[in-house]
Amino acid sequence: MINALTILFCLTLIYLAVSTRLSAYVLILVLQGMLVAGVHTLAFFNDFAWSHVVVAAGVLLVRTYLIPVYITKIIRDLDMRHGDSTRRYHPGFLIQMASIVVGAFVLSNYLSGLTPVPVNVIPLGAAIAGMGAGGLLIMRRSLLLAHVVGFLIIENGLFLLAIGVEAEMSWMIELAGFLDLFVLVFLMGIAMNHLKTHFPEGESDDLTGLRE
Amino acid sequence: MFTTALAAWYRSVRLNYALTLIAGVTHLAASLYCLIARINPFPAGWWLAVDPLGAFFLIILSHTFILVVFYSPGFLQRMQGAKYERSRRLYYPALNFYLLANTLVLVVQQYALLWVVMELTTFSLVPLMYFYRTKESLEAVWKYLFLVSLGLVFLFVGILFLSLSARGVVDYTGFVVGSMTDAAPRLNPLWLKAAFIFALVGLSAKIGFAPMHPGDVDATSNAPAPVGALMAGSLRSTAMLALLRFYQVVALTQVRPFAQRLLIFAGIFSFIVAAIYMWRSRNYKRMLAYSSVEHLGIIAIGIGVGGVALLGALLHLLFNSFGKTALFFMAGNLHRAYNSRDIKSITGLTLRLPWTAFVWALAFFYILGAPPFGIFFSEIFILKGMVHSGKWWLLALFLALLMLIFIGMSRSVLRMLQTPDTTPQSAPGTATGFRERFNLSHALGIYAIVLSIPIMLFRPASLFDALHSIMATLGVTS
Repeated sequence: MINALTILFCLTLIYLAVSTRLSAYVLILVLQGMLVAGVHTLAFFNDFAWSHVVVAAGVLLVRTYLIPVYITKIIRDLDMRHGDSTRRYHPGFLIQMASIVVGAFVLSNYLSGLTPVPVNVIPLGAAIAGMGAGGLLIMRRSLLLAHVVGFLIIENGLFLLAIGVEAEMSWMIELAGFLDLFVLVFLMGIAMNHLKTHFPEGESDDLTGLRE
Repeated sequence: MFTTALAAWYRSVRLNYALTLIAGVTHLAASLYCLIARINPFPAGWWLAVDPLGAFFLIILSHTFILVVFYSPGFLQRMQGAKYERSRRLYYPALNFYLLANTLVLVVQQYALLWVVMELTTFSLVPLMYFYRTKESLEAVWKYLFLVSLGLVFLFVGILFLSLSARGVVDYTGFVVGSMTDAAPRLNPLWLKAAFIFALVGLSAKIGFAPMHPGDVDATSNAPAPVGALMAGSLRSTAMLALLRFYQVVALTQVRPFAQRLLIFAGIFSFIVAAIYMWRSRNYKRMLAYSSVEHLGIIAIGIGVGGVALLGALLHLLFNSFGKTALFFMAGNLHRAYNSRDIKSITGLTLRLPWTAFVWALAFFYILGAPPFGIFFSEIFILKGMVHSGKWWLLALFLALLMLIFIGMSRSVLRMLQTPDTTPQSAPGTATGFRERFNLSHALGIYAIVLSIPIMLFRPASLFDALHSIMATLGVTS
């Protein structure tokens, strides 16, 4: 079941490659939030503890509600509903994304053979794919909000990575991590609000004032 | 935490200054006490502890912080008007929050918690960096926030790999520095290598190692002078400590030579990038930011070389914080008088701002490693370490790069000091009869620079004992 959810996670990355609308990006974040919460719940299903329930609830609250609602608010406030209109669907981006997903599973398989420590190949592959896909989105899309979404996808990949390598952490630290993530997105949102007054297009190409 | 909450509650800038001053003085006294008396104020078994390494970095933090607090009223007095009202109100609470976040990084012993508090240091800086509320400062904030946060993702991967290396050796409740160093020889070397690579890459954005330095350079050069001093004088050191927490474990294993090579490589690369930009820089605050890239590179090389060079690297951390504080304070005076960061716009400096010119020149000689200042001695220790370890190629490269930086920086600084006055008489600071008087910023600058001389002359036993104890924890016996 964990493998099925992580493969679904990879499918959301493919959807990311064929979409340029910001509303679709938010939907992807919600879907990924639900999937990583599901993976977390299943990973610790046989080892019930209230701390695992608290962490899963934290994932659901922060990743599927607080952050998507906040990003939707930014989109509405900054009137960015049309999304990355200058960059339409491009098959090259889809090919790159697919290559990252395939490459991530090959790398995961290779890594699992390198170490005596047991590693879950499929969640680890999905985690690497998520981190690579977030990075690709940041590099290929110029809209600043797309960069924030890319960053959040990297964070989702990171969460899967922790599950993939079966790293157990204190629930307090995991919750503090979510709080950090939320504050970070909140700060980025505030910065974006201010950026809009100076850079109406909200694109990274405009941020060249500090170059020498 | 208490003064952060109080400063956020009260709106009076004067009252908040008093609170911040109390926090700074108390912090400095407590840090000195912990270093001298070798005391850990936290109960055993907690995830917080003050070890010699933490106590040394606490001194760097609190010393820089207290100097910045003394400098702040003069700075805020100049920042009048509705434009700065919100920034002025946020200034002291943010300063207290900065102290809290950095202190937590220095005392936290649990690796995953270290990542959480590293994020806090980034948040604490945002209101301080955005003080001027200009287009440039906003761009700098965005880039810093984004690059450093991406870097911290890598750091988290490093922490995960470190936990993997300890699989079956220590459980997650024992994922603290003490347990990890105790278990170091039994850790999986492959995952340990991977952990160190990711930690180094992840922290590079915060430390300012090339090629992850641009966000940090932009932020430092566009922040107000006291914030620039904090970033160059203490924040980079705090991030360096986070890296040393990984090195502490790695240094006791067979992975140590690999980590040392990596640190030398990161240091040299930063050194080269700084040397190139030092020749190209047209902005004096940016020049100072690149000087930080250079000095953190020197420190990384010192740690990588090991032996007596490690002692040099630790001293260099301390002395670099002194010099950067003085330089950024003077850069603030220059910006106030000329309303520009352009090197070419600084003319007639010795006539218009004689005291600032004097301290600026003194700090310039200090940071370039001229005797009898502290950086001269720390660099000698690092060079001695290279000779002892037989790294002649590194010694030659190090000296060549040092020479390049010396010439590059001298071109800019001497131009600023020697260009005759060409600005119109109506420009700020040029009013008839105006002559800059000696003020607190000059006293603080001179104090910060001169302080390194008695430290190297008398070599206080409490400090040097602590440094040797730190070296022992990093696998070097002397």
